[in-house]
Amino acid sequence: MVRRKLAIEAPEPRVSRKRELPNDPYEVPDEADTPKRRRRRLEPKSTVHSGINGEIDWDNDDVGERSAVVQESPTKRRGRPPKSAATATPNGQTATPSTRGQRIFAETPLKPRPDGIDTPSRRTIADRSARKKSARALIDRVIGGAVSDDEVEEDIAREIYESSANEEEDAEEDEQGDQDEGQHPTTPSKSPGRKRRAHPRKRSPTPPRELPPHEQYFYQNKPGLAKTSNNTLSTLDLLTHDEYFSVLRQLQDPHAADVDFLQSLHAQSFPQWAFELSQGFSTCLYGYGSKRRLLHNFATYLSSQHPTHRIVIINGYVRTLTARDILSTLATALPSSPASSNSTNSGGGGAPHPSSTVGALLTHLSSTPITLTILINSIDGPPLRKPALQSLLSHLAAHPQIRLACTADTPDFPLLWDAGQRAAFNFLFHDCTTFAAFAPCELEVVDEVHELLGRRARRAGGKEGVVFVLRSLPENARALFRLLAGEVLVAMDEQGGAAAAAGGEEVGVEYRMVYNRAVEEFICSSEMAFRTLLKE
Amino acid sequence: MTESEGGRMQFEEDDHRAAFVFSNLRAEDAAAKHSSRPAKRRKVARPDAPKPQAVAEAEASFPPLFDGAESPDAVRLRKELFETSWPIVEDGIQHVLREANRTTLDEVTSFLQRAAEAKTGKIAAGFIITGPNIASQDLLFEQLAETLSAATQASFVRLRAADAPNLKAALKKIIRDATTGRSEDGDGMDAEGRKYLDYDLEGLLAFLAQHQLPLRVIVSFQDSEAFESGLLSDLIALFHSWRDRIQFDVLFGIATSVELFEARLLKSTARQLYGAQFDVVQADSVLESVIKSAVAGTRATLRIGPSLLRSLVERQQGQAAGVQAFISSLKYAYMCHFYANPLSVLLAGDDRLQPTLLQPEHIEAVRTLDSFQSHVEAAVEARQLNHAQSLIEDDQYLATQILRQAQKRQAYLLHLLRSLHLVQCTGLSTASFVELYISALSGGIDIEQASGTVPLEDAIKRLNPGDFLSLVGRLLSAVRTGSSELGLRGWEAEAEELVGALGELRDEVEGLVERSKSNGATLKSKYSAQSRILRTTVVAQKVQLSRDTATLTEEDKAYTKAVDTLLELASQALHCDPIESLFLHEAWVFDSKAPYRDVFVPAPGATFDRALSRPQDYLACACCSKANGGLASTLPTTAILYHLYTEAGALINVADLWSAYYALVGDESDVGLDERSALVCFYRGLAELRMMGFVKQSRKKADHVAKLKWL
Repeated sequence: MVRRKLAIEAPEPRVSRKRELPNDPYEVPDEADTPKRRRRRLEPKSTVHSGINGEIDWDNDDVGERSAVVQESPTKRRGRPPKSAATATPNGQTATPSTRGQRIFAETPLKPRPDGIDTPSRRTIADRSARKKSARALIDRVIGGAVSDDEVEEDIAREIYESSANEEEDAEEDEQGDQDEGQHPTTPSKSPGRKRRAHPRKRSPTPPRELPPHEQYFYQNKPGLAKTSNNTLSTLDLLTHDEYFSVLRQLQDPHAADVDFLQSLHAQSFPQWAFELSQGFSTCLYGYGSKRRLLHNFATYLSSQHPTHRIVIINGYVRTLTARDILSTLATALPSSPASSNSTNSGGGGAPHPSSTVGALLTHLSSTPITLTILINSIDGPPLRKPALQSLLSHLAAHPQIRLACTADTPDFPLLWDAGQRAAFNFLFHDCTTFAAFAPCELEVVDEVHELLGRRARRAGGKEGVVFVLRSLPENARALFRLLAGEVLVAMDEQGGAAAAAGGEEVGVEYRMVYNRAVEEFICSSEMAFRTLLKE
Repeated sequence: MTESEGGRMQFEEDDHRAAFVFSNLRAEDAAAKHSSRPAKRRKVARPDAPKPQAVAEAEASFPPLFDGAESPDAVRLRKELFETSWPIVEDGIQHVLREANRTTLDEVTSFLQRAAEAKTGKIAAGFIITGPNIASQDLLFEQLAETLSAATQASFVRLRAADAPNLKAALKKIIRDATTGRSEDGDGMDAEGRKYLDYDLEGLLAFLAQHQLPLRVIVSFQDSEAFESGLLSDLIALFHSWRDRIQFDVLFGIATSVELFEARLLKSTARQLYGAQFDVVQADSVLESVIKSAVAGTRATLRIGPSLLRSLVERQQGQAAGVQAFISSLKYAYMCHFYANPLSVLLAGDDRLQPTLLQPEHIEAVRTLDSFQSHVEAAVEARQLNHAQSLIEDDQYLATQILRQAQKRQAYLLHLLRSLHLVQCTGLSTASFVELYISALSGGIDIEQASGTVPLEDAIKRLNPGDFLSLVGRLLSAVRTGSSELGLRGWEAEAEELVGALGELRDEVEGLVERSKSNGATLKSKYSAQSRILRTTVVAQKVQLSRDTATLTEEDKAYTKAVDTLLELASQALHCDPIESLFLHEAWVFDSKAPYRDVFVPAPGATFDRALSRPQDYLACACCSKANGGLASTLPTTAILYHLYTEAGALINVADLWSAYYALVGDESDVGLDERSALVCFYRGLAELRMMGFVKQSRKKADHVAKLKWL
């Protein structure tokens, strides 16, 4: 490892040279100390090396760099203000081969370095005094040759010294990476880049690794750190819905077999889940991947086990889901009861309040021996995130004849429930990571991405879109649309299988005929009006 | 993706519906078609008849263990054991919980009755300090409803903040609950042909009058902190104005303190209340009685092991999880044990556990147990080589040994509980029962001062005669009466020796006290006397310290001897081995924390992080295992994006993300996706990240997204 050796050698002359500086009040000239110090440097260096991206740069440049170090540093050493000597040395060393050094060349070497202040890395500033003190303590001890009667103290001193040395190495390494990049003096095109490197610690190119999440949060949210390139996706043709689906159909997932296997593993727990449900617990399946298939299979399993049980599936990812949908479906799942559920609703006069319906539903359920199983896909889906719905569900789940199993897709789902609801649900959680792809009904990929990019609003399509457009039309236009749609459907039926076999050939209706029908139904009186309406 | 299109088309329609009734027919249909070609959906009218299921029992049976080799009888027995043992425990718990609230209920009832007679012109208000856990309030208010409507004949309405967002909704709820709760013929609103609005208290009055019910309604606010203060003030003012027609009483469940609650009300409103404060039994003591009855008591068939129990109790104290959570955990432990442990059949009584039931697999399983190993080792050490050899080789011999363990278990448990009960009765140990129980399970009981788990030695030695006598009296009565909480009956008959010795001691010490009293001296033992007297003498300006070897009288010496005897008796009576030292304890102790933690304390963040950063842990595919937590082009798209995501800063440039992704999976890489396919994958991954809440749109820069998760 030539590279590593060189790295070790580099600091050596400087360390001893530093010792010779008489101006620094903290420095004690002592040759005995240097070997020890060098040894300590050696270890962190080698570890740091292996993890840092700048490694390659090192490989390319180390020869030139070393010579630069050896030649240049004596001249610069003289000009260094004595105060900063102790702390700035490691950085000064790495800075030497940089372009900055070349700039200094033009000036008198005696002049103090103009940018000498920014060399100490920000991180080490805080440690500086502690480090100095501990260094001094160590040196004193060695000079005195005294047998230390306070081993602990020495250990502490050493620890402080070493840890900060470590960090400095780290910082040094980072900068070295920076400056090696900028060190190709032959390419003038790099010059703007060089200027920016005047403040090397400002943007660390290699983020610290292995930070705990909270530290990472604070690190990444430091003001001024968020530097991203100005590239945009303007050159890229964004996908359309049609293209997305046509490409998707041809894609093969290399992990399909593994995903299926994972599903079958989860499926082995069906009896266990069924047992848990039967004991008054609710199960909640969480983890990455779509669990819709899994839940569906579970429903199949349950119904094969207990043919008499009613199973209701609620799809939490359907954006139009309301409490009324849930309740009315539950009501249809039960054998009709003209007495309780309907009469109280109508008795209220206006729209039945969900909570009253729930009460009626539950009392009705109690009067029957039926066991109702509710399976909820994506209990943390957007429509189900309202507290009212969750409390409704928990109310349902608390009923002894209702069993509830649900799936959750986001990592934050436990925040949905307070202690009371959690107790009512009586959840058992199972890790069901499936890696299955989310189907188009669960996740509208193209819309989601475009919304994320702020490109286009949600596709106006879907049921809501059509309803919205139709509602805004005048009544006659609506009637015409109905007529037209009816005619097209009839025409499709007539052409029937032929058209389908031909691969979706456009179905046409005769203009004249539609007009005549429209006139018959008093939608429009003249052809002129008909055209206007048609345009709408 | 590659999931069969045919199967998916079947579900397509249902998947877009918000809610629907799952029909078995369609599923079976689909399953049938799944194998055959995806034909058109047949419109079958109705299934002719539900398939005659072989398992037409109420609930499906447990799956057989031992890779399916377990005999149906054993499986059934496990299930029956679970079904018989848990309800007993649960009944005990319910009883404890109800008893715990008894005094509160009585107080509230008598207060409301007094308030009704007092005619203060104010609304009677009971402030019930329930503590922070709203989950455990339900039972209390349910009991309140039962007791109060029985005692006062009043209508009882329970209000929760979620039910009553505003005044109108609250009134509706009150009226509805007060009217429907009492009679079946619901529509009493229009008695005189007049229809009331459903939030008009007039209607309630008419209803009550018509049914000749007492004109009194008790409204309880379960989580009063969650109610808007304006709404509370309005309601109270309204109730007050109705006082001359309907008598309203209110009850508040308060988690914090009455002062804080009062500060939220208007002064004028607060003046209309005539209140009293009631404290509910603290959760800690409820928990202790639950543990006494359900975990430690003789009724419990399954023992919860010390480490699991400790973590459960810590969770209760640390996270205020509520007694309900504890009970659920307990139930889950029972479920796990009987569902998954084939040896749980050994818990059955003699009458049901036939030797034929034990299969070779059972015997084999027993031989793998830790306790079997230590049992054999102990036998070898005790030079019972034949015994040890037969245990290992002779299945028949082992089977009889196994069956014999049931009695040993009973004896052990009885002894353990009696010892614990006696320790409690001495009153010398400061530890709570739960702590004592846990330490007794894990380390046994030993009252030796230096090494024992329950160091009582010093405390007994230092007893003065008065305490001595009362201690002996307490022990005697404990032996006589047992403990109802633990389900222990008195065991005077079985412990004649102990009782006799204790009785003698008592008589002797009483005599000694009499005698020393007549001598004018106080009775002391050498343990209590010695250490206290320290004599200082000044001799030639030097201080001399000398221990006073206080002369002990004859009575004192006799008393010392009595103390020693008591100590010896106690160390014999209060001695117990740790539960793990017993042979076959695995069959009746459940001490595994893993299922409990997985199931009740999920870590979704860690799960998602692991799935996305190391998908091979789940997929177990060869291609991604090479990556070993790093980035590889074969990972699922979302996992690749997640890796890039964790490396990125708080703001992510989607264009750069895309180019990084494309560089990884694009044409040149070994995956070799063309640009459009890669873009499709990229879209999907990004959309999934968004759905899971990892990123959101950022308006700071074009084509940038903001990071939301640091897992």
